[in-house]
Amino acid sequence: MNIVAEQPWLWAGLLAYLVATLVAMWGLSPRLVGSESVQSHRHERIVLGAIVLGVLLLTIAIAVRWVRIGHGPWLNLFELLMSQLWSLGLIYALLYWRLPGLRPSAAIVMLVMWILGSWVLLLEPADSYFPATYYNVWKWSHVGLGKVFLALLLAGVGLGGVMILRLTERGRRWFRAMPTDAVIDKLAWRLMMLALVFDSLMLITGAVWAQDAWGRYWAWDALETSAFFTWLLLAVGLHIRLSYKVPPWASGVMIISIFVLAFVTYFGMPYVSTVAHKGMV
Amino acid sequence: MMQVLSALASLKLTLLGMVLLGIGAALSYGNPVETSIWVLVMPLALLAINLAAAILTNPRINRQPGLLVFHVGLLGMVVLAGIGRLTHLDAHLEIGKEQAFSPELLMDVRKGPWHAGALDKVVFTQGGFTVDYAPKLRRGLTHSQVFLPQPDGSMLEIDVGDDRPLVLERYRFYTTHNKGFAPVLTWIPEEGERVSGRVHMPSYPLFEYKQDNHWIPPGTEEDIKFWLQLDTGMTLEDAWVLDGRNSSGVLVVTSGDQRVELKPGEETQLPHGRLRFDYLTTWMGYRVFYDPTIQWLFFVSVAGVFGLGQFFWKKLSLTAWTDDDSPTDNNNGTANKRGSV
Repeated sequence: MNIVAEQPWLWAGLLAYLVATLVAMWGLSPRLVGSESVQSHRHERIVLGAIVLGVLLLTIAIAVRWVRIGHGPWLNLFELLMSQLWSLGLIYALLYWRLPGLRPSAAIVMLVMWILGSWVLLLEPADSYFPATYYNVWKWSHVGLGKVFLALLLAGVGLGGVMILRLTERGRRWFRAMPTDAVIDKLAWRLMMLALVFDSLMLITGAVWAQDAWGRYWAWDALETSAFFTWLLLAVGLHIRLSYKVPPWASGVMIISIFVLAFVTYFGMPYVSTVAHKGMV
Repeated sequence: MMQVLSALASLKLTLLGMVLLGIGAALSYGNPVETSIWVLVMPLALLAINLAAAILTNPRINRQPGLLVFHVGLLGMVVLAGIGRLTHLDAHLEIGKEQAFSPELLMDVRKGPWHAGALDKVVFTQGGFTVDYAPKLRRGLTHSQVFLPQPDGSMLEIDVGDDRPLVLERYRFYTTHNKGFAPVLTWIPEEGERVSGRVHMPSYPLFEYKQDNHWIPPGTEEDIKFWLQLDTGMTLEDAWVLDGRNSSGVLVVTSGDQRVELKPGEETQLPHGRLRFDYLTTWMGYRVFYDPTIQWLFFVSVAGVFGLGQFFWKKLSLTAWTDDDSPTDNNNGTANKRGSV
């Protein structure tokens, strides 16, 4: 097996995320009720520190690869996963720091991150070629806004997962330190509102890029259709949430469904269509 | 009247419209020929009516400036997209080096019934082009030279390519992967006027293996077949620049049983006249796009999202993000109140 320069940094970053995951899960243990570590929130500081360390190590991994192949992580699935692990970690660390109410849900969020982490470990770090249309400045804003959008959804998934798991006795014990479902639900949908803003801006900047790059702003290709479904489902979810009385578990299911669709758009569509975002022959 | 508007503003109708729009989007995936535009137009029209009624009657929308701007923006986008489809033009263009643009050169033209662009005012002359290729024939930057006439009679040379379109009279000309070589030929018939023209060979290097075409001289039934043997310096292993100035070719001409190889400047006698291979030139393929609404779509959509952002910002900053950060024993909590986020 040929190991390329960025891989050790990537592995180290994933190891830091693993530490964050394990400590976050450890913090849920009912046996720790009343323990000094949990009372003083020391384990939360370890989780935050491990995520930040992971982000720093992934920053180095991305920088090393960037220097090695001459362009950023925009093209193949290995690069997309690596860059998403970086941005999701960065934005989630900020949310974790600023919103103490969602901290126990890190056990769920970091597990989802580990789906990406395990996936990237299975991929070859093949070099990619930078298409001419990727020099466009709109690509930067499109990608950046998309990263914020997905991170907000991911944080929402953590909260949605808590509301679903709390249907069980075990789930109620695990997430005993979190606010009531009503408060969690409110927080989750606030994140969804912000996600809608960033998703909308991502679609707009993507359309401008597509107009410049391919001479049309919308063409219902695989990625665009899937991205539109995600936006529409998010809008439907918000309208339902604002207009009907939705039980917390159903709210959680809606949020996770939106995330799953976004996940498929980001990481499933590259298998369906390679043309839209890779330039033409 | 208000009762009708209130019924049209129903949120159930919104959700129905969104579901129908989702179905329409699924049917439109990949723009299949058999799918009618109406699968999108109908749900969008339903949503537009629903939205207009909601804007007029729903105080939760029309009394909150940010939300009002967002929903008016959505309505504006639907209207603008509709106008865009009615006035648009999409086409392809193959234009040879030193050839002046003419609307007759457009191919595969698709346009809306209200299209009224000033295509006849578009004036430019195509120059040469270069395309960078990385090893394994991976296409890089395209530089296409275009000349625009200036009021003082001079020609302004500009460089277009990839995401830098030529924009004239709101028509946007984008270079494509479709480009290639064209032998310039002169046909000297036994009787009548000589004619000169170019025969466009298939896209290069995509169809490097089949650089052939055919032509029937006017007034004859003689089908002349051409095969161009190119030397462009192309290699699969190394980086390479496609440049007509560094390329040469031998034209193989076949008519009936007669087969002859011509170099530039050479000619051959065929049954109904003489054919001269004057020189080898290039052609560039463009995608032509016209939609007078795209700038407005951009501004309206951005304004709408900023309206939504303002609404959320106001809403989210009014109350703490977590009203209750303290642990609770009642983790089942209470179901959310309708409309509270």
